[in-house]
Amino acid sequence: MLKINNLVSGYGSVQILNGSSMEVKNQSIVALLGGNGTGKSTILKACSGIIRAWKGTISFDGEEIQNLAPHKIVEKGLVQVTQGKDVFPAMTVLENLRLGGFVLKSNINLKNNLEKVFNYFPRLNERKNQLAATLSGGELQMLCIGRGLMSNPKMIMLDEPSAALAPQIVMDIFKNINKIRKDGLTVLVVEQNVRMALLLADYGYVIKDGAINVEGDSKKLMYDESVKDSYLGGGGTTANV
Amino acid sequence: MFKKLRLTSKIENALMLTFTLIFLIFISISPDMNLESLKGVLIIGITVGIIYGLVAVGISLIYTGLDVVNFSHGEFFMLGAFTGLTVYNFLIDGEIIYKIFPEAYGWVGYVIGLFLAFVTMGLFGILIERIFLRPLTKKGGGYTVAGMGIIICGFGLSVILQNVAYVIWDPTAHPFHADLGLPITLGGVTLPMTYLWMLVTGFIVAGALYFFLNKTKMGLGVRAVAYSKVVSNLVGINVPLYISIIFGIACALAGIAGTLVGPTYQVVIYMGYIILLKAFAAAVVGGFGSLPGAIIGGFTVGLFETACAFFISGSHKDAYAFLLMIVVLLIKPTGFFGVQVKMKA
Repeated sequence: MLKINNLVSGYGSVQILNGSSMEVKNQSIVALLGGNGTGKSTILKACSGIIRAWKGTISFDGEEIQNLAPHKIVEKGLVQVTQGKDVFPAMTVLENLRLGGFVLKSNINLKNNLEKVFNYFPRLNERKNQLAATLSGGELQMLCIGRGLMSNPKMIMLDEPSAALAPQIVMDIFKNINKIRKDGLTVLVVEQNVRMALLLADYGYVIKDGAINVEGDSKKLMYDESVKDSYLGGGGTTANV
Repeated sequence: MFKKLRLTSKIENALMLTFTLIFLIFISISPDMNLESLKGVLIIGITVGIIYGLVAVGISLIYTGLDVVNFSHGEFFMLGAFTGLTVYNFLIDGEIIYKIFPEAYGWVGYVIGLFLAFVTMGLFGILIERIFLRPLTKKGGGYTVAGMGIIICGFGLSVILQNVAYVIWDPTAHPFHADLGLPITLGGVTLPMTYLWMLVTGFIVAGALYFFLNKTKMGLGVRAVAYSKVVSNLVGINVPLYISIIFGIACALAGIAGTLVGPTYQVVIYMGYIILLKAFAAAVVGGFGSLPGAIIGGFTVGLFETACAFFISGSHKDAYAFLLMIVVLLIKPTGFFGVQVKMKA
């Protein structure tokens, strides 16, 4: 579904990615793991067109997308879901969700997708007329995922869905991500929470210094010592399990 | 910390209230004070206020959308007035309209003038944004870091547009004799029709803008882009296009305001300068970047100015708006509605 080949990119003149390659297969959940500042989010931003790829290719559904404008990529069905803080706080939950379906042409689709999202997250239905600023952290994350689903994507990329959330809520959200995959979507999830992400994913990549360091089946990665090493830069503990 | 914050805002509100009370006492002891004149001041103040509000909304829209204070905004107001005047003169004085509708009245030409001023200024604004502002902002990181260049560019544009108007319409003051009918009496106050047109059209336009922003898909997109360009990108909004739309709407609002003001005063190439500053004062008073704030700020500035001009002294009319702005900045630096601090990614 998504294939990244030798991607080089960065911000301004600062290079972050030094030739990362990875592949996300159809209807799978792939976890992209790594510590702070290793380039996880940069890969996502390059895929969604927020920053340009300097070198290398990104192909989605058989088409190269590295030179497309961000809204064209969303139209193709590749949606990045941001962290919960990136909602529009002065708008209601419903307006936020409608923005998620901005690329949809017909209102019927919008309504169907809204129902689908409320099915995954009934909490949002209860709060649909509230301002997004009044939601809790978990609800904000639900809103972000829901907003991502509104445009009928083929694949969603989640940027740290567990960030700053209680374990109970993270479990709930991860269960929903699994449900979303079962309904036919492909998921790429960027995480710092290694254990949780690997429990969820089928396959994992570990990024270090802007390049893929370790990859493999998530069951295998779970017990891989080198993951620990590259993730925490050698010594240190698995504190955020 | 929160306690302290709340206390400050309480003090701010108390000070604002004190200032309002002093102002009200001051005007109520004026020898000109009576019910008639108070009504007149209210109506005129609100009329002038809605015009300031429309221009201020444009400034606020551009500020939220492009992160730029558009110092050439007054010139769109001026060009709008000239567009309306030219269209009106062409249709009515040139008697073109009577060839199509023999029964037509002056207001038909005026309405067409208003509409064309709106549309022309909108398109012209988009053109200016595409040609001059976009390349500049791209250098500064694509509409996130506007920088000094764009502010200077705004001033430069203002001078250039004034000179363009100079070449086309020459610098003399043009009277705008809109034939809108006899003055009417409204609750004991005799009001020229031009004021009534300002008042009614101003409210219609403000209402239409509210409807557009809150009830249409495009308005939703405009609000999203105004809040965050990155997140708007991620939900699939064509951000560059929407920035053009924002600029176009803001300039169209200034254009229609210009044609509304034209018949009351006169149309002259220097008219954009003072309205820019007053609308700026209105935007600051209401809370910079807030759209309802801009309209409320417009009313506040309009009412304050008219009241001071009537009850205190008419010869310093233009100073009052800035007096109010300075007082509000001293007491409540965020303005009335400037509580939502915009978070920058």
